[in-house]
Amino acid sequence: MKTAQEMKPNSVALIDGQPWLIQKAEFTKSGRNSAIVKMKLRNLLTGSSTETVYKADDKLEPVILDRVAVTYSYYSEPNYVFMDDEFNQYELNKDDLESVMPFIVDGMTDICEAVFFEGKVVSVDLPTTIVRQIAYTEGSARGDTSGKVMKTAKLSNGTEVKVADFCNIDDWIEIDTRTGEYKSRAKAPV
Amino acid sequence: MKWDIFCSVVDNYGDIGVTWRLAKQLAAEHGVAVRLWLDDLGAFARLCPQADRHAAQQLRQGVEVRQWLLPWQPVQPADVVIEAFACELPDAYVAAMAARPQKVLWLNLEYLSAEDWVEGCHGLPSLQSNGLQKFFFFPGFTTGSGGLLRERDLLEQRRAFQADPLARAQFLMGLGVAPIAGARLVSLFAYENRALASWLEVLAAEPQVTQLLVPEGRILADLQAWLGCATLVAGDQQQRGRLHVQVLPFVEQEQYDRLLWSCDFNAVRGEDSFVRAQWAGRPLLWHIYEQEENAHWYKLEAFLALYTKGLSPAASAALEGLWRAWNAGAAMGASWDALLQVWPELAEHAERWCLQRASQADLAEALVEFYQNWL
Repeated sequence: MKTAQEMKPNSVALIDGQPWLIQKAEFTKSGRNSAIVKMKLRNLLTGSSTETVYKADDKLEPVILDRVAVTYSYYSEPNYVFMDDEFNQYELNKDDLESVMPFIVDGMTDICEAVFFEGKVVSVDLPTTIVRQIAYTEGSARGDTSGKVMKTAKLSNGTEVKVADFCNIDDWIEIDTRTGEYKSRAKAPV
Repeated sequence: MKWDIFCSVVDNYGDIGVTWRLAKQLAAEHGVAVRLWLDDLGAFARLCPQADRHAAQQLRQGVEVRQWLLPWQPVQPADVVIEAFACELPDAYVAAMAARPQKVLWLNLEYLSAEDWVEGCHGLPSLQSNGLQKFFFFPGFTTGSGGLLRERDLLEQRRAFQADPLARAQFLMGLGVAPIAGARLVSLFAYENRALASWLEVLAAEPQVTQLLVPEGRILADLQAWLGCATLVAGDQQQRGRLHVQVLPFVEQEQYDRLLWSCDFNAVRGEDSFVRAQWAGRPLLWHIYEQEENAHWYKLEAFLALYTKGLSPAASAALEGLWRAWNAGAAMGASWDALLQVWPELAEHAERWCLQRASQADLAEALVEFYQNWL
């Protein structure tokens, strides 16, 4: 068993005999040092979705999932197609990829993990750290070089990320996919 | 309709204060048979002096108060089960809920917060592996939340009391308080607070006489240190400059409400007294329960953002300054002076805020409605 707090997006919990894919998990301190986790779940048997809340230390039964390394290939409406190193293709729609959608961009080369439940691909995990290019951001407002002053930047797919004030258009940045937060400026991927 | 409310007393009187009020209101106004399960009858006896600290079962003000004993003694679960503030129900009781032929509504009654996320979590299910239907219920200040505890006739009682100087005088006399003509009457209920000394300094030095009434509690040690007394007990009175200090006994909830209604300004803490001070319709100062990683500051700022809507920039700044100083343990002199400049506006706003909140369903009403919709 794992606590609700330990269950991450793209993991599956068995609840009342039903496998639920955790598409989103938001941890919040509620009061007097207790905390809750709000989750968006998708039932892998029926396809139905629901929002649910747990105490952070509530116990859930995790399902061990098979994982295969894949890379993103292309978009074929309405599916995003990923491929493994044996050229097997896996198709997932926007809902399947909810937790990683903000970071799916054309031409991305990240080694991802396709997540399988009973032989069927149900989602994809991104690496913890990815590198993306800034498509647009305002110029530095204060000339700050400390990295403490933040501003909004847009990626090529429209996702907004708070970045250090000294970042510019076309700069490459590292992003933590667990939190969606900017980590640092980076070199362009080769 | 039978309800079980479980309360594990963690510290202070917040958990028990809220659940005791809720239990009384459900019984009195909604005809609900309530069993209130408490693991600390000693704490309960402070709020309800008639209570027997050792009775496994007793009827108090329409509520069946049960001692939450370990090991758990099996009972038939109620139609609605509330675990207050995320306390853990006994495993055997949960198993009995699942085994009950009629389905049971299981609610986790959460802490009060003005943060935005509350509306997004209020009323959501918590999927269980035993077939039980459990939901999270969040009290709050907005219509998308579960509301605040407020008895049906509370504001009528308060208005009548505040319009009757004799009732006020008699109530205060009952506590041993002789109001000083022309003095500002202030109540003080707080956790330990380094900021207290600087506030008392300014109260003692200003031209206006202040009469400070302090129910017994955790702030007494700081008060004692500032006064330079060896001990302070209920009934003690001290004067420093224009500040008159009087220690009051710990009083029952109904009496505490009247104390808040009697005062011009109320310093309160935690959750229960914080809400009751808002129903008093008087300016207030909140000492929030301190949390790990400074999580309480987000909650304080969220409430301030909501509460100060409609105030002038000067009044907002004054109130925010005072509350932040109080909760940071910082010097209070300048922020108290700033507050005095906008006092009439804050007094009007306190009443308006109270009426706005009272236009929403109260917590007990919202819980009953939630149950009826669930059926």
